Amino acid sequence: MPATPVLELRGVDKSFGPVKVLHDVSFTAHAGEVTALVGDNGAGKTTLVKGIGGVHAFDRGVYRFDGRPVRPRSPRDAAALGIEIVHQDLALCENLDIVENMFLGRERSHGIALDEAAMEEAAAATLSRLSVRTVGSVRRRVSELSGGQRQTVAIARAALWDSRLVVLDEPSAALGVAQTQQVLELVRRLADRGLAVVLISHNMNDVFAVSDRVAALYLGRTVAQVRTADVTHRQVVELITSGRSGDLGPRA
Amino acid sequence: MKAGPSPEEIRRHNLGTLLRFVHLRGPASRAVLAESLGLNRSTIMALTADLTAAGLVREELPRSPGRRAGRPSLVVRPESTRVYVLAFDVGVDRLVVARVGLGGTVLARRSTDLPRGDVDPGDLVGALASSARALVRKAGRDAVCVGAALGFPGIVRRADGRIIFGPNIHLHDLDLGTALARRLGLGVPVRVANDADLGALAEHERGTGMGCDNLVYLHGDVGIGGGIIVGGRLLGGEEGFGGEIGHMVVNPNGRACACGARGCLDAEVGEPTLLDYAGRVQAPGQAGREAVRAVVDAADRGDAEAREALHRVGTWLGFAVANLVNIFNPAMVVFGGTLRDVYLGSAAQVRSMVATSALAAPRDRVKLRTAELGDDAPLIGAAEFAFTDLLADPLQVPARLREAEETPVS
Repeated sequence: MPATPVLELRGVDKSFGPVKVLHDVSFTAHAGEVTALVGDNGAGKTTLVKGIGGVHAFDRGVYRFDGRPVRPRSPRDAAALGIEIVHQDLALCENLDIVENMFLGRERSHGIALDEAAMEEAAAATLSRLSVRTVGSVRRRVSELSGGQRQTVAIARAALWDSRLVVLDEPSAALGVAQTQQVLELVRRLADRGLAVVLISHNMNDVFAVSDRVAALYLGRTVAQVRTADVTHRQVVELITSGRSGDLGPRA
Repeated sequence: MKAGPSPEEIRRHNLGTLLRFVHLRGPASRAVLAESLGLNRSTIMALTADLTAAGLVREELPRSPGRRAGRPSLVVRPESTRVYVLAFDVGVDRLVVARVGLGGTVLARRSTDLPRGDVDPGDLVGALASSARALVRKAGRDAVCVGAALGFPGIVRRADGRIIFGPNIHLHDLDLGTALARRLGLGVPVRVANDADLGALAEHERGTGMGCDNLVYLHGDVGIGGGIIVGGRLLGGEEGFGGEIGHMVVNPNGRACACGARGCLDAEVGEPTLLDYAGRVQAPGQAGREAVRAVVDAADRGDAEAREALHRVGTWLGFAVANLVNIFNPAMVVFGGTLRDVYLGSAAQVRSMVATSALAAPRDRVKLRTAELGDDAPLIGAAEFAFTDLLADPLQVPARLREAEETPVS
């Protein structure tokens, strides 16, 4: 058991007006592991991720990062802690190239000018460290890239910073099978290089292919967080659809 | 009692260790070498001088200048374009030949299709030799071939590299290595080994299993091959026939296997079975791996028959992995060749079977991974195998080749 989880949430609540979206949610993510976050549409996955990423604050509960209580109030706060979120829309700029996108809003400067050489070198080094050979030149514009290549750039951007936790929201949703496979292998490499990775996915093959743990949300509650090696496809599907499966899930 | 190693043996060992380090880990400064190999800098300097004189490495300034002050330390770099091996991968429906430089760079490669079924050994040797010659011709004038090795999808005897049996390529009792070496006439032997064993070696030394000393590699190419690494060494058994995971019986009432038994993993998970379950016939001229990928792709798009086919195949693959986990307690199981696609397309089923069938203790930490080298794992493994002699005794091989060159052929 790794000592302290990178991310630990306990007893988290979140409401939007009268609608209580998260009730008493607990969730952990460990360094070197992929934690799959599963649940039906409306189970609260996106709300949970937005809370982790500082888009909105939780109403109540414990939020610990590397064991220390924190309260990120903006995505910038979260990034300063080492939390990177890759949203479904990827947030890449079509008219900029790969390097410019990877450093967007966090450009390196050399005196008053941008340090293009250093940024290009760092971008290329990150891509090669992650064994990404599919994007060609780092000076290609994002508008020229395929869906899988864009996803790769978005994920590599998250790994470029001294990130400790990377959250991926449905990274393979719009991709063909070959590109999905490459993205899954990239996700796995991120964790194997020591990051804590949270993967939201509806595809059970993807979840089982790369995850070390599965956390299931059902109607805004955590119903189980288990090691993937200990559960079956059927159990995970039951947790998603009915909130319990045999011994797993909250006691009635 | 045996006397301790002689200074000559120690020097040879150190030369091999240094060369192996830059071969596997890439160019390194003397300082890094000294620290990593636990030798002092003057020894490193002497060893580097010997390897440089033999034409195996060169020392140069680092490519991108460091940002630290002071004179940058020289970097020891393998002579990757000058010193190379020939690597052969005999697949069931294709032949791949590559020229691989010291340091592991694939310098050039040629791939040819092979008709399935009965293969004439003479034709096979001819096809391999002509591809190899074309690659050798393109090498620079000063380039030297220091070894050759071939991966074969079948049972190979370790002692002499003789092919005993190929279930999916109809060849048996054939000394392919000697025949090919004679045709090539490069003065180097052609070593022969099981293709999945070489895949295991490649993933262990250069792929996803780097630093992992207990791993099981499963390779899909029409049939299923396996290579097992225990304590950092390939497990071959008494005669090197071991590790045939493809012929582990997983379903006693199962399908007939080309080896004569029933319900082997090969028969339950191999490409013909997957295509059969998916209701597909292989299009003429379509390579097997394309057909397998087409099934995985169809399943991803929601094709019910393709999904069912992957589910069935995933069940047997899961049983096999559970058995392997229980018997070998590997840190990692790597899926390569077409099994990479099959695993990613049926992971939920594979891991469900492992969760229910494997013992909790060895299952707890095992990592299931896809091959970083993909279809090329056996080819890269063959290259590593071909470098064995050079790395064991770095100065002897170039000397021998030089002598052969100077002695006129009578």
